[in-house]
Amino acid sequence: MSQPGGGAELARLLREQRVIVLCGAGGVGKTTAAASLALAAADAGRRVLVLTIDPARRLAEALGIPPGAQKPSAVPRDRLDAAGVSPKGSLDAWMLDPRVVFEGLVRRLASPETAKAILATRLYHHMTELAAGMQEYTAAEALYELVQEGSYDLVVLDTPPSRNALDFLDAPGRLSRFLDDGIVQLFLPKQGGILRRAGRLLGSVFGSVFGDQFIDDLGVFLGAFSGLFAALRAHTEGVRALLGSAQSSFLLVTSPETAALDEALFFKDQLAARKLPFAGFLLNRSLARVAGLPNPGEVPGEPLGDGARRALDELVLRERELAGRDLALLGRLQGLAGEGKLALAAPHLGDAVEDLPGLLQLGRGLLEE
Amino acid sequence: MSQSATSPASPLDLAALALDVAGRQGSLATLLSSRLVLVTGKGGVGKTTLAAALGKIAAATGKRVLLAEVGTEPKDRSPILSALGEDRPSSLEPMKVGENLWTVLLTPESGHRAFLRDVLPLGFLADRAMRAEPLKRFLTAAPAFAELGVLYRGLQLVRAKRTRNIPLFDLVVLDAPATGHALAFASLPQLLLKVIPGGPIGRAAREGIALLHDPAVTRAIVATLPEHLPVSEALELVQGLRKSSLAVHGVIANQVPHDPFSPAEHDTLSRLLARAEVAGARTLHRIGRAKAALLRLEESVGGVLHVREQSQRGAGLVQLVAHDLSAGRA
Repeated sequence: MSQPGGGAELARLLREQRVIVLCGAGGVGKTTAAASLALAAADAGRRVLVLTIDPARRLAEALGIPPGAQKPSAVPRDRLDAAGVSPKGSLDAWMLDPRVVFEGLVRRLASPETAKAILATRLYHHMTELAAGMQEYTAAEALYELVQEGSYDLVVLDTPPSRNALDFLDAPGRLSRFLDDGIVQLFLPKQGGILRRAGRLLGSVFGSVFGDQFIDDLGVFLGAFSGLFAALRAHTEGVRALLGSAQSSFLLVTSPETAALDEALFFKDQLAARKLPFAGFLLNRSLARVAGLPNPGEVPGEPLGDGARRALDELVLRERELAGRDLALLGRLQGLAGEGKLALAAPHLGDAVEDLPGLLQLGRGLLEE
Repeated sequence: MSQSATSPASPLDLAALALDVAGRQGSLATLLSSRLVLVTGKGGVGKTTLAAALGKIAAATGKRVLLAEVGTEPKDRSPILSALGEDRPSSLEPMKVGENLWTVLLTPESGHRAFLRDVLPLGFLADRAMRAEPLKRFLTAAPAFAELGVLYRGLQLVRAKRTRNIPLFDLVVLDAPATGHALAFASLPQLLLKVIPGGPIGRAAREGIALLHDPAVTRAIVATLPEHLPVSEALELVQGLRKSSLAVHGVIANQVPHDPFSPAEHDTLSRLLARAEVAGARTLHRIGRAKAALLRLEESVGGVLHVREQSQRGAGLVQLVAHDLSAGRA
């Protein structure tokens, strides 16, 4: 029914890779899948970190870690032991706070005085408040930094919903472009400021659109940053190289819903266009693995009324239809994934995947495929 | 993935439903009498379908309705057009897709261009500026400027006039970004005002805030699924949006499963299905979870609109959802 060795291939990724990135549409269970794969890798004896940019508190609740932490926190050992996770492995988790990550980046790259100057600018303060754009910038940075640091064998990253996850893929490049010399020079007071450098047209556009105060602020901000551009660029190239390397794998998570599936396929093309390593599909929230279950019989001494019996038969028939459809979809995904890639259906656990044992059950279930 | 519907998807008379809307569902009529409806919620809860259905209902009452979605390129797949059963690519300018119904793609770039056209003294200056490489790069790379462009373009279409006193569109329905981003989106103009208080950007931010915070103009609808976690996130979103001073009109519970059984029958069935791995057990559990989730939602926000689960997909689904919304099953 399933691709032979699909689970074995997933086990290999969990054993050997340094980075696993999960992408997909919203509502397909990416966060849950990320946590369960991280737990499965810990169960296989590795030191694992799961990172999420999802602002929801779900993962923290399931893993028993404090929300809003400034750095990764360890899932309590007694919880791992109670769930039966191998004592060789460990699991940390972190819900990224863009502000913390960006500040860390500035402090690492700059001298203490420069860092202080950057962090004190008015624009820096607001820039990190603009979370809509900052989450993706910082996710890639945090991932890179934590992999480099070497405390973890594997980092599993849960990304925001698909269109935004594209932002994530492009974020390292965009940060470089934002801090590109060409733009920066426009605003640096030392270089003669905007009017002299940019030519009259652009100068007047910037001046009249952004207003003097913003341009002054930007000048101060970029002036403080100007010594760091080379280091930042090298850094973002490092992020890009890591994500594109053979140590990283991108898994696309989807549900059987048409819209989610379209997003996953769209995303596969985007990965190919960016030369990022596609590892396969995870079909979540499907009935593919419960196709072919027997019909329910009767409870002795508790016969159902005719109406209820008919309703039950209808419900069972419908579930069978859906399961058959999901199984066919899994076959299609296996074809689309191609040779040597994964296409696995997660076991159907309903709402149960809200605690550590549930997550472990999900991860182990995937490996059994 | 096409499949047959369990209930016949007969073409609905939306004009007749529109009367229902006015007569029985005051709440929906109020929603559709605003100028901008933001359909928001966690990913995967059916926002696009609900936005399309709300647009169809309003269009059937004779309003000129624009369905707006957010993206970067017209050539990318358009969820709104797919929901309407249309094969065409989306368009940066409003494109007619039915009686009184248009769709548009809001992109950062179209918003930046629109903004520059509005603030620069000569139109050609905006076009030339948009071709200037440093400005292009600044606008695509600076945090939040993409979102601001989208917001500006959306509000421009809300304000657009057909004649001096008549708006181009009576109603704009926006298929808004998913939870986390929707919250950031809603608070962007205020943040912008702090960073760039003066000049045309400051003015645009103030105008944007005035439109977004006026419940006669803008109302948000939060969509959710009848499951535990989605309901928790929907409640958080309602709170967050209200904190950003956006009028939250209500919550729509989408894909509510049909429950054909009495409480006593549920008891019998739970014993029957607990005995072994059998077909039907998962569906029955889901019905139970949905009931509990809806109860919690109802207790927290009240007046929740229900949309039944359908096996229909595509344009037929939008019709069925429009039917449920109009009937106001709460």
